[in-house]
Amino acid sequence: MDFSFTPEQTAMRKTIVEFARRELNPGLEERYRLGVFPHDLWEKCAQMRLLALPFPEEYGGDGFDFLTTVAVYHALGYACKDSGLVHALTTQIICGIQIWLFGNEAQKATFLPELASGEAIYAQAITEPGSGSDAFAMRTTATHQEGGYVLNGSKTMITNAPVANRVLVFAVTDAAKKSFGGISCFLVQAGSAGFSAGKPMEKMGLRTLANGELFFEACFIPNSGLIGREGQGAMMFSEAMEWERTLIPACLLGELERILEEAVKYARERHAFGQPIGEFQAVSHKIARMKLNAELGALCLYSAAALKNRRKRAALETSVAKLFISESLKQAALDAVQLRGGYGYMTEYEVERELRDSIAATLYSGTSEMQLNILAKLAGL
Amino acid sequence: MNTREIIRDFITTEMLHQPLETPLRDDAPLVESGIIDSMGVMTLLSFLENTFSIQVSGEDLMPENFSSIETIATLVERYIR
Ligand SMILES: Cc1cc2nc3c(=O)[nH]c(=O)nc-3n(C[C@H](O)[C@H](O)[C@H](O)COP(=O)(O)OP(=O)(O)OC[C@H]3O[C@@H](n4cnc5c(N)ncnc54)[C@H](O)[C@@H]3O)c2cc1C
Repeated sequence: MDFSFTPEQTAMRKTIVEFARRELNPGLEERYRLGVFPHDLWEKCAQMRLLALPFPEEYGGDGFDFLTTVAVYHALGYACKDSGLVHALTTQIICGIQIWLFGNEAQKATFLPELASGEAIYAQAITEPGSGSDAFAMRTTATHQEGGYVLNGSKTMITNAPVANRVLVFAVTDAAKKSFGGISCFLVQAGSAGFSAGKPMEKMGLRTLANGELFFEACFIPNSGLIGREGQGAMMFSEAMEWERTLIPACLLGELERILEEAVKYARERHAFGQPIGEFQAVSHKIARMKLNAELGALCLYSAAALKNRRKRAALETSVAKLFISESLKQAALDAVQLRGGYGYMTEYEVERELRDSIAATLYSGTSEMQLNILAKLAGL
Repeated sequence: MNTREIIRDFITTEMLHQPLETPLRDDAPLVESGIIDSMGVMTLLSFLENTFSIQVSGEDLMPENFSSIETIATLVERYIR
């Protein structure tokens, strides 16, 4: 399999790297300290068409294939130090993919253009206070009422929730069937009666990403707000996870490559005991491990992306990519702190922020333990 | 092997992981009995798409299409045709 970038992909990646360095990185330290969602940068990313990449032109997208989208987000993750912003963008794309794959014609025509232009911010809500990894133990219900459904329940930790205009909400429509056939997906619009969002939750990292709670109290959703068919929620979720576990690792791999590059530079420049610290094997092996993981990560990522590009099932490949790249990133960030000594611990040198950001990657989109469970099952257990 | 036999064979060996005393019947409920769940169905889909060179679209990803060997075979045959 040939994983090299086409000339067009290479040019797009270069443009995004320059854009991110010029437009997205300045001022990050202050934004991070304040912990606010950067609406102005969201706007700039939208103008760069970052939210439009994979969607068909007839729905306001730019019609690039998924592999190109992955290649571009890989470059974005590499160049953009604001990992919270990058995560917000990927969430929007994943919401769009669900509408594109499962929505009806009217829903695609109505919602995809505003999603691809960034005019409306989207969120996807599965996790609840009592159910995270065990996602289908959710308690939020959607009961039939004349002309639609009534939602009751709450969601938590939802990316983009405090700033979202639209939310894809997964809820139980048939408690007897529950996890398979009993869950459905609804598009809820901000401002709907009975729907409210909590304040952004304070987090250890990804501080420019807005995460929060959502509350549904007798919130009426017309039939036109059902995405896909009733009972299709669990399958939509499984399908969405395969795309998510490809697009997000693309960004994480880019981050890992940046950490590696900066670690090499530091290990060459910093001297101790009369030599560059990179000449101590204890340091060089940490860097070698980062390099090894970056190379293997790229293989995992692009084999998963190539399958999704052809609309193939890729539960195994996407789980491998998510698990391997997120864990490799966390280890690389930890090692990057260590090889900088005390400076690594100082905010000014940025690696402590990268470490805090990286931890989230082993939690969202299915924890590392849950990825291992999937792999065990696919291995035949 | 015909479509039903291929599906039966996969479910028995790859999803149940054990030989059965009597083979799974075409109408045996797979979802209610827990043989197929939301994770298992993705594995099954992957097998079906590769084996029969088909691509099941979003609207057909409905639990009722995977409720028995019979419904799965009907789905597959609709794509092969
Ligand atoms: C930054 C961030 C963004 C997020 N964005 C979203 C979002 O947009 N939408 C959304 O719906 N959710 C979102 N989440 C929530 C996230 O998906 C959940 O936190 C995650 O699925 C884990 O669920 P939990 O927190 O309830 O942990 P739990 O499920 O309670 O797990 C606690 C611990 O037990 C382990 N565990 C649980 N079950 C098993 C098992 N069967 N085998 C082995 N170990 C197990 C877990 O791995 C974990 O270590 C986000 C979370 C974070 C941190």
